[in-house]
Amino acid sequence: MPRLISAFSGTAGFVVKIVLLSLMNALAVWAAYVLATRHHWTAIAVLAVAAGLIDFLYLARRGTLPAKFLIPGTVLLAAFVLIPIGYTIDVAFTNYSTGHVLTKTQAIQQIEITSLQPAANPITYTMAVARDGSGKLVLLLQNDATKKLYVGTPKGLKPLSPGTATVSGGQIVSATGYTLLHGIQLFDVDQQLQSYVVPVGAAGIRPQSSSTAVELTPTLRYDAKRGVFIRISDGAVFKDDGNGEFAFQGAPLLPGWKTYVGTKNFSSIIHDPTVRQPFLRVFVWTFVFAGATVFFSFAIGLFLAITLDKRGMRFQKLYRSILIIPWAVPGFLSLLVWAGLLNDQFGVVNRIFHINVPWLFDANWARVSCILVSTWLTVPFFFVVSMGALQSIPEELTEAARVDGGGPFQIFRRVTLPLLLVAVGPLLITSFAFNFNNFNNIYLLTRGGPTFTGSGVAGATDILISYTYKLAIASGLGNDYGLAAAITIIIFLITAALSTAGFARTRVLEEVV
Amino acid sequence: MTTIDVTVSAAVPKVLEAPAKKRPKLAETWWRHVVGIIACLVALFPVWFVASAAFNADQSVSGTSYLPTRFTLHNFGNLLHNTIIDPSSRSKIDAPFLHWFGNTLIIAVITAIGTVLISAMAAYAFSRFRFRGRRMGMLALLLVQMFPALLTVVAIYLIILNVGSIFPQIGLNTYLALILIYLGGAMGVNTWLMKGFFDTIPRELDESARVDGATPAQIFWGVVLPLALPVLAVIGLWSFIFTLNEFVLASAILDTTSHFTLPLGMQGFIQNNYGQLWGPFAAGALLAAIPATLLFAWLQRFIVSGLSQGAVKG
Repeated sequence: MPRLISAFSGTAGFVVKIVLLSLMNALAVWAAYVLATRHHWTAIAVLAVAAGLIDFLYLARRGTLPAKFLIPGTVLLAAFVLIPIGYTIDVAFTNYSTGHVLTKTQAIQQIEITSLQPAANPITYTMAVARDGSGKLVLLLQNDATKKLYVGTPKGLKPLSPGTATVSGGQIVSATGYTLLHGIQLFDVDQQLQSYVVPVGAAGIRPQSSSTAVELTPTLRYDAKRGVFIRISDGAVFKDDGNGEFAFQGAPLLPGWKTYVGTKNFSSIIHDPTVRQPFLRVFVWTFVFAGATVFFSFAIGLFLAITLDKRGMRFQKLYRSILIIPWAVPGFLSLLVWAGLLNDQFGVVNRIFHINVPWLFDANWARVSCILVSTWLTVPFFFVVSMGALQSIPEELTEAARVDGGGPFQIFRRVTLPLLLVAVGPLLITSFAFNFNNFNNIYLLTRGGPTFTGSGVAGATDILISYTYKLAIASGLGNDYGLAAAITIIIFLITAALSTAGFARTRVLEEVV
Repeated sequence: MTTIDVTVSAAVPKVLEAPAKKRPKLAETWWRHVVGIIACLVALFPVWFVASAAFNADQSVSGTSYLPTRFTLHNFGNLLHNTIIDPSSRSKIDAPFLHWFGNTLIIAVITAIGTVLISAMAAYAFSRFRFRGRRMGMLALLLVQMFPALLTVVAIYLIILNVGSIFPQIGLNTYLALILIYLGGAMGVNTWLMKGFFDTIPRELDESARVDGATPAQIFWGVVLPLALPVLAVIGLWSFIFTLNEFVLASAILDTTSHFTLPLGMQGFIQNNYGQLWGPFAAGALLAAIPATLLFAWLQRFIVSGLSQGAVKG
C-alpha cells in the first residue's frame, strides 16, 4: 500500500496534478459556456475568478502550500455549509413564509388581479381559446350584448375585423389567422387560463368557463404615489404595515411580500402566545427527552459494565458482542422496526405481553416510547465506554479503599464513580447534545406525533429540530421559513453552549483523537 | 486501555484473593449471568422478531411470533422484484429494494472516500504547516460544525434547485448533488480528529523524507497517510454509517422512488403498511442491516478506544 501510494507521487504525482487541474479548467470553461447561453454574467465572473485562483494556488511555487491541501474541503464547505448558514441567518430576520414569498412589485400585481370582481350587471362574452400565428395563447371574444367580436391578449382588447370569424349556435367556431383549441388542448392550458386577464382600462376580462368570459372591475386601486391601496367602494386606505402586507385596521390584503422584519420572529417566540405555547412545550420536552435518554442510558450502561466486568467471568465476550448490537445496527432500521413492534393494533410488544398500550398514539405513552427506544439505542455506547473507563481505573485504588474498610457501595460511590465521571463526563455532554438534535429518533418513530387538534404543527413528541423542520417544510399547514430560521439559530446557540461546556471540561480536541 | 489493565494486574500481586483461582465460581457470579442474559434478551428482542418475521410465510405483523409459523424464503425472493403485492388490497407497491440498496452503497462509499481524502488533506495542513489563520480556521470549523446542518436544508434545497435549472447534472434527484452536499460537511470534526492523530506521527519521519528530496505532497501520500490508515478507516466508516442513516437531506434532494436511498425507501414502504407488509420489510431490514453491522462490529474497538482514550487523558 505505501509503495502503491508513493508510486503516484513523484513525476507521476505531478502528471496527476496537471491532469486534474486541466479537467477542472475544462469543466469551468464548459460551465461558463452554459452560463453564457443563459446570460448569467455575474456567475461567469465568479466562476472565472474562482478557477483562476485555484490554478494560481496549485501552480505557484511557494507560499501557497497550506492552501493546496485546504481548497477541496473549503470550496465544498463554502457552497453547502457556509452559504446555507448565511441564508438561514438572513431569513431569520424576514417574514419569509407562505403568503410572503413574492417581491413587493409582484405582490401589488397579484393584489390588483385578485381585486377584480364581477360588477352588478357584468358585461359577458362568448369565448373561444385560440393560438395566434406565433403560437401565443389568445381569447376570441364576442360581446353577448353588442355581438361585436374581439381578440383579447394580456396586452388588451382589439376588435376583430368583421367577416374573419364565424359564429354558429352561439359559439365561435373559427377565425382566420387563429387556431382554436379543443378538448384535451384546453385542459393543457388550464393553468394559464386561470390567471389569464385581458385588461380593459382599469377593469379586466377573465375566462369564466371554457366558453364564456366576464368583464371584472377592480375593487381596489393602487396609489403608486402614496404607496397604498384604496378600496374603491368606501375609500378605506390599506397601508404598508411594515410586516410585508397592506393592511387596513389590522386586516391585511393577500398576498403579502417577503421583507425584513427585524427581530420580530424572535420576539414572537416570547410575546405571541400562539407561538410561545407550542415552542415552550417543545423546548421543555427536548430537554426532558435528551436528559432522560442520557440518564437512563448511562445508568443502565454503567450497571451492566460493573456487573459484567468481573475478571475471569465466563461468556464475557459473548455478552459484550450481543449487547453491542443495538449500536451496530443502522439506526434508521431499528427505529422503523420499533415503530412496527410498538404499533398498538398489530404490534408484537402488545401481543407478546398481552397488554393493550397505545404506545405511539397517546401523547404520554408516545413520549415514553421515544425515551425507551432511544435508551435502547444508546445503552451500548455507555456500556462500552464505561467498561473501558472502569478497566483503566487502577486496582490499587479500590484495593486500598477496601483495606481501609470501605464497603462495596462506599467504594463505588467515593472512588469508582468520581474517577469514572472524569472519563465519561464529556461523553455525557456529547451524547446529550446529540440527542438534543436527534431528528431521526423522533421522526422515524412517531413523526413527532400524536398531534393535538388545533395546536399548529407541534406534536406531542416533537423536539426542537423536528418542530423546526415541520415549520419550514413538512407540516402541510403552510411554511414559516422565517420563524423556523429563528428557532434554528436558538438551537445553534444551545448546541454551541453544550459543546463548549463539553470541550472546556476536557480539552478533548486539543490533543485527542 | 487494555495495556494499562495488563500492566496493573501484573504489577500488583493479588494479595487478598486466593492466588490459584482462575475463574470465579458460578455461585459468586450467577447473578451477573442473570443480568447479562436479561440484557442480551432486551438487546436482541427486535432483532429476533424481525428475523422471525422475515422467514415467516404470514406477511402481516399480527402473524409474527417467536418462531416462524410456516418457514419460507418468499419474503427475500420478493425483494428481487421491483414491486410487492399488498396481500389485502392486491395493489402493487413500488419497492425497488435492490435499487435502494445499490443507491445507498454508491452514495455512502463515494461520500466516505471523499470525506477521508478531504479531511485528511485539511488535517495534514493544520498539523504540519504553520500559517496565518490556522488557529482561527480550526476554531471556525468547530463552530460551523455546531450549526445544525439539518436545518439549512431549505437553503440547500433552493441552491440545488437553482443550480439544477442550469446544470441538471447536479440538480435535484441526482446522486452527485447529494454526495457534494454530504462532502460539504467533510471538514469539521473529522479534520479535528485526524489532526490529533497526525500530530502523534513523529515529525522526524517527515524530516527524513524531506532530506531524501520528497515534496510535501509525497510526504502526505507516502509517509503520513499510510501511517494513519487506522484513523482513516475509522473516519471512513463513521462517514459511511452517517450517510447510510441520513434521512432529511436525502428526502429533500431525491424524489423518485427508484433514486431513493434505503432510509427513504423503507420508510415510505412501511409507513402506512405496518399491518400488511411486515414480512417483506423485515426481510429487507435484515439484509440491509447485515453489512453495516458486521463492518461496525469489526471497527468498533477503534472508535471506542479513540473516544475513551481522549476522555481519560483529560
